[in-house]
Amino acid sequence: MIIYPAIDILGGKCVRLFKGRYDKVKKYFDDPLKVALKFVQDGAEFLHIIDLDGAKEGRPVNCEKIIQIARTFNMPIQVGGGIRDYQVAKTYLEGGINRLIFGTSAVKNPPLISEILANFPPDSVAISIDVDKGQVATDGWLQKSDLSPKSLIRKFRKIGVYQFIVTDINKDGTMNGPNFDLYEGLADCEIDLLAAGGISSLDDLKKLESLGLSGGIVGKAIYEGDINLKSAISCMKSGLAKRIIPCLDICDGRVVKGMNFRNLQDAGDPVDLSKLYCEMGADELIFLDITATNEKRKTLVKLVSRIAENISIPFTVGGGISSIEDIDALLKAGADKVSICSAAFRDPSLVEKAARKFGSQCIVISVDCAWNKDFWEIYVKGGSEATGADALSFAKKMASLGAGELLVNSLDRDGTCEGYDIELLKTISSVVNIPIIASSGAGCRLDFLKALTDGNADGALAANLFHYNKITIPEIKNYLKSNNIAIRI
Amino acid sequence: MIAIIDYNSGNVASVSNALKKLGKEHVLTKDADEIRQAERVIFPGQGRARFAMDQLEKYSLIPVIQNLKVPFLGICLGLQLLSNFSEEDDISCLEILNGDVKKFPETVKIPQIGWNKVRSKGKSALFKDIPDYSYFYFVNSYYYLGQSVMATSNYGIEFAAAVSRDNFFATQFHPEKSGEVGLKLLNNFCEL
Repeated sequence: MIIYPAIDILGGKCVRLFKGRYDKVKKYFDDPLKVALKFVQDGAEFLHIIDLDGAKEGRPVNCEKIIQIARTFNMPIQVGGGIRDYQVAKTYLEGGINRLIFGTSAVKNPPLISEILANFPPDSVAISIDVDKGQVATDGWLQKSDLSPKSLIRKFRKIGVYQFIVTDINKDGTMNGPNFDLYEGLADCEIDLLAAGGISSLDDLKKLESLGLSGGIVGKAIYEGDINLKSAISCMKSGLAKRIIPCLDICDGRVVKGMNFRNLQDAGDPVDLSKLYCEMGADELIFLDITATNEKRKTLVKLVSRIAENISIPFTVGGGISSIEDIDALLKAGADKVSICSAAFRDPSLVEKAARKFGSQCIVISVDCAWNKDFWEIYVKGGSEATGADALSFAKKMASLGAGELLVNSLDRDGTCEGYDIELLKTISSVVNIPIIASSGAGCRLDFLKALTDGNADGALAANLFHYNKITIPEIKNYLKSNNIAIRI
Repeated sequence: MIAIIDYNSGNVASVSNALKKLGKEHVLTKDADEIRQAERVIFPGQGRARFAMDQLEKYSLIPVIQNLKVPFLGICLGLQLLSNFSEEDDISCLEILNGDVKKFPETVKIPQIGWNKVRSKGKSALFKDIPDYSYFYFVNSYYYLGQSVMATSNYGIEFAAAVSRDNFFATQFHPEKSGEVGLKLLNNFCEL
């Protein structure tokens, strides 16, 4: 669903009306252009601009100002207010406005709409239906008609309009939440429906999305700070959820836990634990074979088959993978992805070959690194051997060779519970355009939030935190959700 | 009997495991006759478009799939291959769906990996008892753009999450990896 931040212009200034009343007006900013700039910086995808003077007078009043905004920012804009004849419509559409909003003139003058649609693309027109107690209101909400919203929608569908903005004027500017029943009642109209009026929280937007609306126009809630436009846009834009990933270290076919590979304790059967984590809401699992010797490889393949038979979420297997044959055996046994570390450093062509043969989506590269006071340096052999190589160049190289995902592992933070290395995550995610998974250092819920927001990671991994039950997956997920992170619950 | 077309695609084992969990008898096969006689056909897919089309060609399965009349479920690349043409490898596909396969825009991380919300358009038996905006697991760099879309998701842009045309159904996500809700969808398919 697209969020349309609203700019209402009255007397040349940016204002909001209360319930559409011209006698209850609050001025927010002097310069609409500056407001537009702020919205653009926050990532707005479409601006909604209303010439309130125009709506009142029945002719465009702030036309030049609005076209100036369109010329300044090369982005989609819809404009309403006082557009009553074809010449005005043409001026706007040729001046860089993408869509015109018609209320009153549409009710009184359907041939105007047909004329515009005959000369401009079908999405150049949106019919705005202002609803006052079930009836359509016109003339800047000053007069009522005897039409119902549905009959008006039907009428304009017939002449080729498919974008409709429906506003409950008793909700507009009230911050009481939109009239959900009104929109639910229009769900069977097969139109692109934009809601306006009373949207006052991210939850309102989410609920509108769930009712099938294609857009929500937000005004006062942004100006009053109840909706943070930037985070609302990033939340509504993509439905892709951030992933919480438990990591299970495998030794001789059992899960082991312990700090820094010392005093390892048996933590149980991998299949039993996997099922448990799945039930708790893990989005994915990673198994790292810490023994990783050739003779034990066969045990691992058998274990992977057993895991694949028992869980129905994706899982990655890593540890000592060094050849196409290794990868083939693990994927055939049912692993969704393999994680490669030392071998990718030693022989980058392995990554290229593997991506070509199996697809990028199943090739994860583990970027194990530590800060050496000049740069993040790559380590191999389970973090025991420094290479002198720069992690950022390595990450870029891996992405260009076809890696599908990077597991970013900070050796400085490993086992510390001091939080993920946010600088490292941020830097790596700025140089590659593939998903990255944060690893090492998680100690509390806030660490996950930081990795997924500031660090721009797509998923966050933890091991002992989960194994020792210091924090549960549902606790983390609920916390992230309450912080407006897209999360699967 | 359900036939899973086994043309050396990556996720055949996962689909088979999921059907085992549902207690549905099935066979992995690339044999044209066996596929023609099946009551249902699942067409998994993972990896590259050209490799997959080459495999179908090699086993003479292209006309077999095109002429199927029983319920058919394509998964991931198995959806994309039903299109007219794929931008991945610039290759002609099975031409069962009227649309093409495009790459995601550069504004998002590619591939899309993870759980995304799926919104079904109208009522479909495949999504029976599955709430709108349920999360399914996706792994894709390309998406289908064209007719017969029955469910959508958003990743930088709105894209086809599932399609259906006559007896042909297909999902861009992996139901076999989407936990309980994915198993539900597979079960719905088995009951079509």
